[in-house]
Amino acid sequence: MSSSDSSSSSASDDPNPKLKPQPLESQFQSSLTLEDSDGVARTDDASVAEQQQEQQDEGSGNGSVDGVVNVEDNGHRDSSDREEGIGSGEARDGDGGSGGGGGVVWRRANSEVELEVEAPASPSSSGYAGGRGSSGASSASRADDASEEDEIEVVGNDDGGAVGAPDSQAEWTPGKRHVDEDDASISWRKRKKHFFILSNSGKPIYSRYGDEHKLAGFSATLQAIISFVENGGDRVKYVKAGMHQVVFLVKGPIYLVCISCTEEPFESLVAQLELVYGQMILILTKSLNRCFEKNPKFDMTPLLGGTDVVFSALIHSFSWNPAAFLHAYACLPLPYATRQAAGAILQDVADSGVLFALLMCKHRVGTSLKVISLVGAQKASLHPDDMLLLGNFIMSSESFRQVTSESFSPICLPRYNPMAFLHAYVHYFDADTYLILLTTRSDAFYHLKDCRIRIETVLLKSNVLSEVQRSTLDGGMRVEDLSVDLQQHTGSTSRVEDKPHTETPERIRESSLVGLGGPAGLWHFLYRSVYLDQYVSSEFSSPINTHRQQKRLYRAYQKLYVSMHSKGIGPHKTQFRRDENYVLLCWVTPDFELYAAFDPLADKALAIKTCNKVCQWVKDVENEIFLLGASPFSW
Amino acid sequence: MGMASVNTASEGMQLCIFDLRRGQQEGQELDKILFFFPADLPFATQLSVIGLSEGLITFTRIFSPDAACEVIEAERHSHVFFEAESDIWMVMVVEKSKESKAACQVDALRKVLKEVHSLFVLFHGTMRSMLEKETSGGLIRSHLYPFITDYLSDFLIGKKLQLPSFHDCLMERGTVQMLTVGREAAIEVQSLVKVLECSAGTTSCYSLVLFQDLLVSTTLSPDDTISLFTYAVLRLTPHALSSGATSWSYLQRTNAGSQVPALSTITNSGSVSDNIYRSRDTSLDQDNNCQVKRPLHHNRWFRGNDGFLASDIWGADNGSQTSVTPIVYLQLTEERMYLCAYQYKRLTIILLVPVSSILNGEQGLSLVKQQVLENVCVLSVPASLKMLRVEEKLSKGWGGENAYHVSGYRYLLVDDERVSRASPPAKVMTLAKDSLLAMSKLREEVNLEKRAKCSTSEVNSDKELEICVRAKNGAWVIARTSRGKELYMVLEKASETLLYASDAVEKFSNRYCSGVFSLD
Repeated sequence: MSSSDSSSSSASDDPNPKLKPQPLESQFQSSLTLEDSDGVARTDDASVAEQQQEQQDEGSGNGSVDGVVNVEDNGHRDSSDREEGIGSGEARDGDGGSGGGGGVVWRRANSEVELEVEAPASPSSSGYAGGRGSSGASSASRADDASEEDEIEVVGNDDGGAVGAPDSQAEWTPGKRHVDEDDASISWRKRKKHFFILSNSGKPIYSRYGDEHKLAGFSATLQAIISFVENGGDRVKYVKAGMHQVVFLVKGPIYLVCISCTEEPFESLVAQLELVYGQMILILTKSLNRCFEKNPKFDMTPLLGGTDVVFSALIHSFSWNPAAFLHAYACLPLPYATRQAAGAILQDVADSGVLFALLMCKHRVGTSLKVISLVGAQKASLHPDDMLLLGNFIMSSESFRQVTSESFSPICLPRYNPMAFLHAYVHYFDADTYLILLTTRSDAFYHLKDCRIRIETVLLKSNVLSEVQRSTLDGGMRVEDLSVDLQQHTGSTSRVEDKPHTETPERIRESSLVGLGGPAGLWHFLYRSVYLDQYVSSEFSSPINTHRQQKRLYRAYQKLYVSMHSKGIGPHKTQFRRDENYVLLCWVTPDFELYAAFDPLADKALAIKTCNKVCQWVKDVENEIFLLGASPFSW
Repeated sequence: MGMASVNTASEGMQLCIFDLRRGQQEGQELDKILFFFPADLPFATQLSVIGLSEGLITFTRIFSPDAACEVIEAERHSHVFFEAESDIWMVMVVEKSKESKAACQVDALRKVLKEVHSLFVLFHGTMRSMLEKETSGGLIRSHLYPFITDYLSDFLIGKKLQLPSFHDCLMERGTVQMLTVGREAAIEVQSLVKVLECSAGTTSCYSLVLFQDLLVSTTLSPDDTISLFTYAVLRLTPHALSSGATSWSYLQRTNAGSQVPALSTITNSGSVSDNIYRSRDTSLDQDNNCQVKRPLHHNRWFRGNDGFLASDIWGADNGSQTSVTPIVYLQLTEERMYLCAYQYKRLTIILLVPVSSILNGEQGLSLVKQQVLENVCVLSVPASLKMLRVEEKLSKGWGGENAYHVSGYRYLLVDDERVSRASPPAKVMTLAKDSLLAMSKLREEVNLEKRAKCSTSEVNSDKELEICVRAKNGAWVIARTSRGKELYMVLEKASETLLYASDAVEKFSNRYCSGVFSLD
């Protein structure tokens, strides 16, 4: 599209991009009229704005404004936005009884997260514990290993797409990048994966790359495509051109679009758009639809002001976190007794009016969060997608991460109840371990604080936190341990190891030169327990040791997942897939799904046997790697 | 407004051809439409379909300048794009059937577009050259309309168009099917080809030999072979002559009888559109209209007394009673060739003679035909006798309609995207719907993988891929690609294990694919 610079720059101030004639739109003759979407469910709740007001009122009633985390002076992009925004980013001290240096932070995390990106030298950074600078602490931060950081460079390059983009050399940092770009920039057009959120009147709400305001014309084009097809009584799902795919998702007044050339299947991309939408609902609730009903030209960017970082962290996690396509969550491996102890105290708390209590930790690999324990009040169940979105929201928002501080923030769990806000009490015990207590009551802060103190005492007493730290260091299952573990746990002889030497000695020796993962060339596996909604993933080991390789493997798994769960005809039972990169084996049963990656030269028969061993191994240690008794049906 | 009326379109399908170099000024949009089916749709609707297509072509070029829009997938329709010639686009809008919402064979539909285009070019030359010849567009419109409606009528079952669907996942449009011949027969065929070329008296003529609907020999380039083979199977082979129509779709063969009335409905609506086009193209003189030939017109070929096939499609020669011999365009050399087809029992021989080598038109050509039949040149046997022998030999070695059935297997083998062999359609029909859907989906995945490899500019022939899926119904659905060859297979009665299924592929590969897909 040839949107000129002049039009796009002026569009940044233009609240109504629809008035700008775009060359492309003119081709959609006569069909550019806007429609109020009727299919939007009416909300019974108060509007978002009302909720915000309440939130603010409560906040001001509870304490005086304190400068512990001073946001307002940091002069970020849209001060007017913040005034309208939820919670307005003010930090209010509690009654001072929270101990340590931490203040109670009453707010949404939307405004100050931007602060973290734009003003790394802010004085407030001194209040951040955990040895992290405020800018470097990305949700994707990895072990402080220099060689690993090098790999991120490569991947960043890969992901960014544009050759020579200056910041593609840096480690992935949260927040918006390439704000200077727009749809006229070559570099912008070459980005491998775009995400857009826009309103049904064509107003841009979010763009992964580039400045939303400058993309008003482009956004209007996307809207035109969607509404043109809609006017014909149909609904556009995707458009393909060469290696590019444009995927559309319409959610009432909200349009989501992904433009990608990553070879990910349509089903994956649309699932990712669903998650992006869910993330927005988590921040605002679905009652925002009502704002659009009242005013179709409603501009919701102020409501989301500063949450760029949350969306970009989520989008980033699509390449790293199998939870995003498996729709399952992972647990930190822990001795059964330790997890029981944690679960018991959480249960105790849940019985006292807490809807959900989650003890989580950030795994050292990537963005994936791991659950230590989680408990819900009677009959309440937490969808894995909600956990993913909640975890992403908390981990990507720097404000939550101050160790020993407490945050209390309204959030919505889209799968639990998209219409209503819950209130989340978040507390970090250490840099990686945190507690989330969710309640329906907006006045429950002090109750939750008491709960947290009780929980903390028990966790310390029963050594749960130190076990957590140990486990984080030890890591999870390793494919190299497969045969060893089998001996330990089942006492079976290591037939898996013997076979290669008798049957295909050359192949095994060859791959062992590269770095033989597990037996029979097993490199990695994912095991998803269907009933538990949980998965376990083996640690990455040689030769899948660069981030680029890991990302490629995740993409391959993702493709395999879609292929197995193909709509209308799936799920298939098994699949064997060999290409130049891997042998992939997948096995889907009513109880579990296993995805395993082998050396591309792996022997078929041995690979099958190894998969059986992996399943046996997982069953043998399921007490430690899964949170048992947490399935929705057992509550 | 808009595409609402699409849904009420008679056949649930629309096909349009438009030229992006035309009608770019306001008020002249109609000028870009070269063809629209169904022609009786209001122009506003036609323009709205083309407007969406054009908009998305422009839009997708932002991100993918080299490969613009290929498909729009909507909930109820698929829009399949094919840029036939530079800036000339063919777009097919297909309503999704209720039974297979997920599995629309986009690639197969694109091959339909490709096929009709290559057939058009075979008889009329490129669309662009025709547009250059007559810039008002009247000429090309008057040619495209009957040509494509005739082509589409082959997909008619009753009054419904039956376009490729998941049922057809074990066949490959745009490829030729070869007859396997023994060594002795091959030598015999070879010498027949030599005799043909020799007796035609000119060295630059080409020949195509078919037995039934299968190719035996060709001296043409691969692309021309595919076009001509396709035409022969559609209109020239004994099968085509006897049924009046034939098609790839096995569903249709059983319904050949019901073609005629349905066909007439299409032609009727055709005349409506002819009028529309004519009234618009005032510059088009009547003479041009009279000369529009319909090479795909049904039931217009017949076998003459001399064994040569003749047709009145191209009219009768002014001086004599004989009908005019059609002229075809070769893609590679852009040569114009007379198409002479000779048939003896199940044997069909197509001889292409350069127009430039025949000085006095039909008269000269009939001389050539006579030479072919009677002349004795290199070998001491005339071609007519050779044909007799070849036919005999091939018939003896031929296993009948189900010759390429391999019991227990339902397969499709594609070689270099040009030659294919598959289980007989009647046998494929015995597969469960779920198996066919799974195979259809798998083929889609493999096509994606193939394209991904092409785009990364790796050498395609290196691509080795093996996918074995055990579907929900227990059937094994298998795809293998290796060294430019592709094998697709459905095994419904195989046992549970992957190893057994792999063994079955291995056996098949060793026996029928000279071990291409074998592991060692």
